[in-house]
Amino acid sequence: MSGVGPIEPGEGTHAWAPPPAARPPRERAARFRTRHRRAVLATTSATALAAVGAYLYVTRPEAPPPPAPPPPSQTVRVTYLGPLGAEATPTGFRFTVAVTAHSGPQVTVTRISQPYEGLSLTANPHPPFRTRTGIPHKIEITMKVTDCGKVPRNAGLPFLDVTLRNTRAIEAHSFILGERYAQDLSDALQVACSNEFLPSPKPDNTPDKGLGGLRVS
Amino acid sequence: MRQRSLIAITAALAAGALTLTACGSRDGDGGSDSSGGGTTVVIGVDAPLTGDLSALGLGIKNSVDLAVKTANKEKFVEGVTFKIEALDDQAQPSSGQQNATKLVANKDVLGVVGPLNSNIAESMQKVFDDANLVEVSPANTNPALTQGPDWQTKKERPYKSYFRTATTDAIQGPFAAQYVYNDAKKKKVFVIDDKKTYGAGLAATFSAEFKKLGGQVVGTEHIDPETKDFSAVATKVKSSGADVVYYGGEYPQAGPLSKQIKAAGANIPLVGGDGIYSADFIKLAGATATGDLATSVGAPVEELPSAKEFVANYKAEGYKEAYEAYGGYSYDSAWAIIEAVKKVVDDNNGELPEDARAKVTEAMQGVSFDGVTGKVSFDEFGDATNKQLTVYSVENGAWKPAKSGTYEG
Repeated sequence: MSGVGPIEPGEGTHAWAPPPAARPPRERAARFRTRHRRAVLATTSATALAAVGAYLYVTRPEAPPPPAPPPPSQTVRVTYLGPLGAEATPTGFRFTVAVTAHSGPQVTVTRISQPYEGLSLTANPHPPFRTRTGIPHKIEITMKVTDCGKVPRNAGLPFLDVTLRNTRAIEAHSFILGERYAQDLSDALQVACSNEFLPSPKPDNTPDKGLGGLRVS
Repeated sequence: MRQRSLIAITAALAAGALTLTACGSRDGDGGSDSSGGGTTVVIGVDAPLTGDLSALGLGIKNSVDLAVKTANKEKFVEGVTFKIEALDDQAQPSSGQQNATKLVANKDVLGVVGPLNSNIAESMQKVFDDANLVEVSPANTNPALTQGPDWQTKKERPYKSYFRTATTDAIQGPFAAQYVYNDAKKKKVFVIDDKKTYGAGLAATFSAEFKKLGGQVVGTEHIDPETKDFSAVATKVKSSGADVVYYGGEYPQAGPLSKQIKAAGANIPLVGGDGIYSADFIKLAGATATGDLATSVGAPVEELPSAKEFVANYKAEGYKEAYEAYGGYSYDSAWAIIEAVKKVVDDNNGELPEDARAKVTEAMQGVSFDGVTGKVSFDEFGDATNKQLTVYSVENGAWKPAKSGTYEG
């Protein structure tokens, strides 16, 4: 023991009451909630609703974007119409085809060619030209023999290569024009390359046959 | 109490909103395979589901399965639930014929998709035709199946119940010849086939056109499809001086043949038809397959906008096997049957008539719809009116489209 008792406040002295202890934060929040419970609930509800609303907005079903147009080769048909003139020319073959875009956006024909060595090709109208959907465009094709040793005198399914362009793609596509075209081409090439060959009998391929309703570009 | 009410209202609002959100997000999901009603219509499938050609066969089966599920989900034919019965022909004509008999015996079968192989179709056609049961092949390319044995001189349809969505070899062979001669600039070909209906027929139509164009056939050989040793043929190819090989047959033989030709020292491309257009060809042929070519029916499915949904749905269904060369055509074949059934049901006050098979066969001739592979309809022979072909080349271990063509005759 030290013999020293507790110090008592003397005269003129003042034992200051300790300052009120700071309320713990939890208690303060609880008190705040108690006082403002309605406001807190309203705010929480508004926040939750806003969050739900935002989620709904972000995940809302959207109208699908318009589908991309099909590639031009899937919408365009090239149809053999027949030879131009009753007989083949001495140096080549003139004929007409119809180019028709059946659906989708406008298609531009950028090139018409043929794959055979020994032949050259010109088209009228000269590419590039545009087609209007649903309207057949009549194209005059002239093939000239440049080397008889390299022409396909009897091709079964000769091609016409056409390069097409629309808003989706540019495509080089082969159009196999069928047996009538093959026969007419073969006959013409036989005539152009050999005096000994005569055209074989062929079906009635009058130039105007089947041209009703065609629009010349 | 009022505060509790407020909490309850808020919770209810949030729950309701979340429920609505969940409902909205289901749009476009696969959904359940719900039943369409009380009548069951079975679509049969015949294809090689086991063996060397099973990659193509399983692609056919899965694609038909997808069409059936789609029709049921959409309740496309009110009151009708479609089911699939798939049988394995093991690429054997005798098995194909047995399968045809089995499918005919099931009265619920109103249409069949298949087969893969033309020689198997030959064994099935009469069985189906006698029972008025319609058959739509996604893959047969032999012209005689629709245009008769004398198709080159006189086209005559042998069976009114047979249809196909694939283009024929009357176009495929010449198309390949034109590409090889004009675009690939190959002038000397060695022609090999497996002696089967498909392979020999395709090799013949290729050779005829190649010669007409001025090309030279410097050698021909037949192989035995039961063997995988083609070293003797490869040596002949090497010594022939050919600058290209054309093979009429299928990928189980074409892959090793390509590999062995290159190993013999002839570094020239092998070209084939739709029978080699498979990822398995590249696996079998190995790294030296680069530059090999194949023609196949139709435009590349992946490039067709109409095929996007098919490709996505096929993936979503989680099929283990790829849809391969004929997936889109198989889906369209099955859908053609579904369309024909719908027409028959609609014309009969919403019910199947007694002579449903005959009526479905009759309706098939007039079917027309926008399918996975484009417009689907049939000409007077039962052939697809959509006659497109594509040349593919092997690049970096995969088939890449090189050129497409459309027959407009």
